Amino acid sequence: MKLLQQTRTKFVEQEEKLIVEGPTPRPGLIDLRNWDYRIIDTYNPLYTSQSDTCDYCTFGKCDLTCNKRGACGIDLETHSAREGMMTCIMGAACHTAHARHLLNYFINRYGNDHPIDVGPTSLNAPVTEVIMGFQPETMGDFRPVLDYVEEQLTNLISSAHTGQEGSARDFESKTLHAGMLDHLGMEVAEITQISCLGFPKSDENAPLAEIGMGILDQDKPIVICVGHNVVASGYILDHMDWNGLFDKIEIAGLCCTAHELTRYNKNTKIIGSMSKQLKYIRSGIPDVLVVDEQCVRADILREAKELFIPVIATNDKCTHGLPDRSNDSIDEIIDDLVSGKQAGALILDFEKVGELVPRLAMKIGPIRKAKGITAIPTDEDFKKLVSKCTNCLKCTRDCPQSLPIADAMEAATNGDISKFEHLHEKCVGCGICDNCPAGIPVLNVIEKASQRIIKLEKGRVRIGKGQISDDEIIKEAMNLELGITPGVIALVGCSNYPDGTKGIYDVAEEMLERGYIVLTSGCSAMDIGLHKNADGKTLYERYTGKFSRGNLLNAGSCVSNAHIGATTIKIASILAGIQTKGNYEEIADFVLNAVGAVGIAWGAFSQKAFAIATGCNRLGIPVVTGPQGAKYRRALIGKPYKKEEGGIMSTNDDSIVNSEPAPEHLMITAETKDDLLPLIAKLCIRPGDTSTARAVKLTHYIELSEKYLKKMPDDWHIYVRNETDIPIAKKEQLLKLLDEKRRTINIDKDKEKIIGNSLLKFGTPVHLTNIPPLCEEV
Amino acid sequence: MTKKEDVKTTRHTGKTIDTTRHATPFDTGNIPGPKTARAVMPAVSGKILARAQRPLLIVGSQIHDKEILERVVTIGRRGIQIAAAGNAYKSLTDQKELDVHQVNMHALAAYLCDPSWHGLDKKGNYDLVAFFGITYYYASQIIATLKNFSKIKVISIDKYYHPNANISFGNLKNDIFTAALDEVIAQLPKVKKNF
Repeated sequence: MKLLQQTRTKFVEQEEKLIVEGPTPRPGLIDLRNWDYRIIDTYNPLYTSQSDTCDYCTFGKCDLTCNKRGACGIDLETHSAREGMMTCIMGAACHTAHARHLLNYFINRYGNDHPIDVGPTSLNAPVTEVIMGFQPETMGDFRPVLDYVEEQLTNLISSAHTGQEGSARDFESKTLHAGMLDHLGMEVAEITQISCLGFPKSDENAPLAEIGMGILDQDKPIVICVGHNVVASGYILDHMDWNGLFDKIEIAGLCCTAHELTRYNKNTKIIGSMSKQLKYIRSGIPDVLVVDEQCVRADILREAKELFIPVIATNDKCTHGLPDRSNDSIDEIIDDLVSGKQAGALILDFEKVGELVPRLAMKIGPIRKAKGITAIPTDEDFKKLVSKCTNCLKCTRDCPQSLPIADAMEAATNGDISKFEHLHEKCVGCGICDNCPAGIPVLNVIEKASQRIIKLEKGRVRIGKGQISDDEIIKEAMNLELGITPGVIALVGCSNYPDGTKGIYDVAEEMLERGYIVLTSGCSAMDIGLHKNADGKTLYERYTGKFSRGNLLNAGSCVSNAHIGATTIKIASILAGIQTKGNYEEIADFVLNAVGAVGIAWGAFSQKAFAIATGCNRLGIPVVTGPQGAKYRRALIGKPYKKEEGGIMSTNDDSIVNSEPAPEHLMITAETKDDLLPLIAKLCIRPGDTSTARAVKLTHYIELSEKYLKKMPDDWHIYVRNETDIPIAKKEQLLKLLDEKRRTINIDKDKEKIIGNSLLKFGTPVHLTNIPPLCEEV
Repeated sequence: MTKKEDVKTTRHTGKTIDTTRHATPFDTGNIPGPKTARAVMPAVSGKILARAQRPLLIVGSQIHDKEILERVVTIGRRGIQIAAAGNAYKSLTDQKELDVHQVNMHALAAYLCDPSWHGLDKKGNYDLVAFFGITYYYASQIIATLKNFSKIKVISIDKYYHPNANISFGNLKNDIFTAALDEVIAQLPKVKKNF
């Protein structure tokens, strides 16, 4: 009877908790389509196809060149939109499967009722609340969230089948849907691990971790954990902790698992982003590789096998053909690996992984070190190899960044290795240059020549802080409102940079010095920490981890990107009082029009990065990628010259007012750091800016353009609504230019004042919207 | 097939300027589909550029080298409007007599595909786009858009073979490339033409 009563109480509590107030809880494929259409109509999809053909079914290959239709009736535009959607689904599925793995594992370990704890917050899970319509409080509350995401992803995938969706516009809506789902999957994964593993909770003073290829003590056995999923590595850390092994074994991470390791245990270190993976394996330094999931090289086993580094696979999504040894004894497995009988093992029993890996490292480490196994050539071999170069440029033509490798080879034959050191910094570490007709292992040659700088590669990264707290947002409100903080820049994504890791560091430094809040995650967060100023300080040592003007925050790993969208939701909720539950469209509309946040995925290469960016787009956050982002096949470009299609609603009186194109684009690329920086400043401008904020944002836009492009931007004037919008320091000069540029504004030259504006309402209201209020005020 | 009388040599080294050789995508995997650029001699590109009603030259981040920059400026002085993508503008900032506009390459592609766009000078969209000096893969992706979704002719006068253009040079060595650009320039009207 008592049990029945408890069950009933729990059911009632759950019912109350799951009360939905907004108009679109658990939106299906078309529930947010009108919002998507608004996005697409303002920011037109631009397709940069990689291939002009379609080979999805046996009708094809079909030639779709010049937007022709194929045998099934699909044209290139629609097919390109479909490919964009599939890219986004792959990314979203990756994060969601990661979340499912973590959730099932932790519920199994701690139970459904284990509480969510992300630190001091009014919104435990902002993304979940906005999309699902309820605020989760326990791990069990996340079950229906992932059920929903998985159901939606299946529906989306089905729409890509031949004979299903036939509209590019609706594929775009579905792509945005997949992006939104991606953020939901990321949030579940991130909150689950924060709540269950004791990760930092909105900790602005999160400690610093060491990063770099030169940080490990190579006299000790070395364990390197590769991927994104912390569970198996966590067991290794626990075992090492309980057995006092941190003095005897070095353990570090590559890619996002590295972030999670440092959030879990302060004794761990970070080698670097995915671009270091092959380089570090080839160095021969690792004694054991532990792989989990995502961003693990497909050839990791082959590479490791050549250097006698055993690979322990720990996730069923990423098994590399290894035999399942989950039920075998640890001693047996170790014997097989140390003897070389097997190159690796799949072990899905994490406790076993936790005990086996340190023991394996202790046993195989001394053997490997005694043999001095490495793929890096000797001095003598190096000379022979560089002299074999025929300058055929195959390596440059294969290289994702077209690096001038043959030039470095030629210089090295004359004893100058500086060009190789330069290449090491720019190289994304893919190793495709090894397909050399002369048989030169090019990556190994680059790494050999760069040994001096590799040893010096030692930096610092602030470990992932998790969610931005309510308190931080409330305290920063006035700065954001007045433009004292001109914007929030999220430097996210992978390490396929067009200009090496220094480029992303330079962008961060420039924007921090200008007072922007810089929020980082994933590989970008790591790479920023590799560089130092003249005083030998990294940016993480120079700026705090607080969400306040001119500071640098590391949210954490790839799934921590959920905090970016979540922060904008919290701003809408806390500062504008917009209802969050099931109210996606209104929140996104507010973010688009009033929150000056921009995402920069400068080195984006993965499907996950595209999904994250697309999720940001649906939520109203513009994203810029590096030039390689054009390979994602789709951008969302605004056309500011189409004034007749502008128009934005004033919430003061529901009237339609003309608006400046802000943000001008929703997803776009930049070719260089120089054109990226002014673009970032411009994309922080929002129709809802106060005049003081607009003046500050325009100041930075103009200054960055003058600094990096040596010119006053052509379009600065269209962002001036009245004279208080004009940057004070240049007011006289700008008023003169404004008079020449914009005849629609009447200027009293004697008083140096704008006295009327036929385009924009004088005294533009602060809150503008694209949609009528969808919810009654709470 | 290159006609014998079309073949020229470089001024200093005497090498044959044949821009139709090595006409394979510079990035080895960049095979777009059945329709790929015809490799032509520079005189052909120059004549097509000279005949265009509304040509636009797009340049990017790889024009800062003195040899290349000089040729960008020369083409601009012959009356061809220039769209400076990436950070190209910073090397053109002192060229006051040129009609140069700072652009974002991605946005420019979107505008070019829109017949209602009024152009960088507000005189209407363009009928021909020529380009060089842009990060290879970036240019290739962007001009794939023009190839598939616009009626604008695209001529690559870049150092590399661009399969997505209508016509292109093959992959060239530096000296041949600059000589080829000179041949293109030689076909343009000597006095500034108002396109």
